[in-house]
Amino acid sequence: MFAQVLATEFLKLRRSKVTWATLVVLSIGPLAVALFMWIVREPGRAAQLGLLGTKANLAGLEATWPAFLSMLSVIVGMGGTLLLTFIVAYVFGREYAEGTAKNMLALPVGRHWFVLAKLVVVAVWWVVLVLVVLAETFVIGALLSLPGFAVGLAVAGARNALLAASIAYLLAPVVAWITEAGRGYMAPLGFAFAMLALGDVFAHTGWAAWFPWSIVPLLIGAVGKPVSSLPAGSYIVIVLTFVAGIAAAIAQLRWADNTQ
Amino acid sequence: MTAETVIATRALSKRYRDVVAVDALELDVRRGEVYGFLGRNGAGKTTTIRMLLGLIRPSGGEVSVLGRRVEPGETRVFARIGYLVESATAYPNLTVRENLEIQRRLTGAPRSAMAEAIERLRLGTYADRVSGKLSLGNRQRLALARALLHAPDVLVLDEPANALDPAGIVEIRELLRELADAHGATVFMSSHILAEVAHLADRIGIIHDGHLIEESTREELAAKARAYVADAFTDAEREQALLTADLERYFLWRTAEGNDDRAGER
Repeated sequence: MFAQVLATEFLKLRRSKVTWATLVVLSIGPLAVALFMWIVREPGRAAQLGLLGTKANLAGLEATWPAFLSMLSVIVGMGGTLLLTFIVAYVFGREYAEGTAKNMLALPVGRHWFVLAKLVVVAVWWVVLVLVVLAETFVIGALLSLPGFAVGLAVAGARNALLAASIAYLLAPVVAWITEAGRGYMAPLGFAFAMLALGDVFAHTGWAAWFPWSIVPLLIGAVGKPVSSLPAGSYIVIVLTFVAGIAAAIAQLRWADNTQ
Repeated sequence: MTAETVIATRALSKRYRDVVAVDALELDVRRGEVYGFLGRNGAGKTTTIRMLLGLIRPSGGEVSVLGRRVEPGETRVFARIGYLVESATAYPNLTVRENLEIQRRLTGAPRSAMAEAIERLRLGTYADRVSGKLSLGNRQRLALARALLHAPDVLVLDEPANALDPAGIVEIRELLRELADAHGATVFMSSHILAEVAHLADRIGIIHDGHLIEESTREELAAKARAYVADAFTDAEREQALLTADLERYFLWRTAEGNDDRAGER
């Protein structure tokens, strides 16, 4: 039955413009960073074109591979986390926004299969986005002929970005639950911004490694210097959040009144 | 509950804080009958239907369909139930065919069922059109096609004639009658329009403020209605009611296939 549910969940994305929109949005990140790096490297030509050379210089950016790859982690970790929230909100929330939840929930299918299938769809979608952005980063970096490339550096950069993307995904089931409970798009988006703010607060109180939504910012250096490795406790917190999120999302569909 | 009972509710209640939406509802719907569940807006029809389908949990009492108690998350019984809840909704970015494909896969219906449902609900012209671009009436047809796709033993339909034009209403009425008579399907349909229910239902239950205030056969209810109208209405009001019925019949005849030119010649 899971295979059938999964097939229908992928079918639901057919002709959806949202899939392409997320790809475009995330792809803008490396392009924007590349533009700034080009401005830093070629301030004279940038000024001739009316681009903001001075501001880019003030930002302290270096036009190098290490800098470019560290920005990749920020793009995937921070921008991607917000975008992933949007994807989860869309996949789960459209059933309420489009009024199809009531059709879905009276089918002869265990409701947990819908939660699991939707999370698989989100995972596949997310993996494709991250891989496209990774590939884009390396292609753009090569086209810009950035200095300082090393295979080890590239592997470490890609690994950091993938780790940030994985941690962001493990927080997705909680967003799914919030979406079901809020029956639409607004609650999860509000939740994402609230967690972003709360993550910042926790980061500045020294508890970043223990609060799920400040672990990605901690990893990519959005709150202080990037850490080379996370404490084991952070992984436990993330995994527990993932399991709790799935349980809550299933329980919400199974037990809560679906009055939409 | 008799052996024939297909849908049964016992002391079924639903409260939302201080509001009682459904109160101690006792229903027995028998195999092969069309049961009209009549009530004004907000009377408790949709809440009852949602409880029949396990979409909301009763505050008290219980629901059984086909001898199986409906409980949250217990979904096996739905393989034998077709349903339409409130407004007709579908995935707007998918075509009629794709929307039905989702239903087919998840109910285990054969592939041939798709073509049958499309033909039965006259959706052939629109089969490859995205449902977001369908008219309300055709969206209602799609919802009914989805409900019928897996040849269910029980149909639970909330306002099935919503958004349909008079000809469409007659068509759906005939379809539901045929399903009950020829295929032994049990139809539980809600409406707030007595005329719609009176044409089709074998028995009619009237719900008001969450209470079942009357349950009669169609004939019994018609006799009561005639007596009431004879007693409470003037001749002019009765004449107006008859005229309205005649106008509806004329409209149906005038817009029927093949009659679009003939009427002007008469």
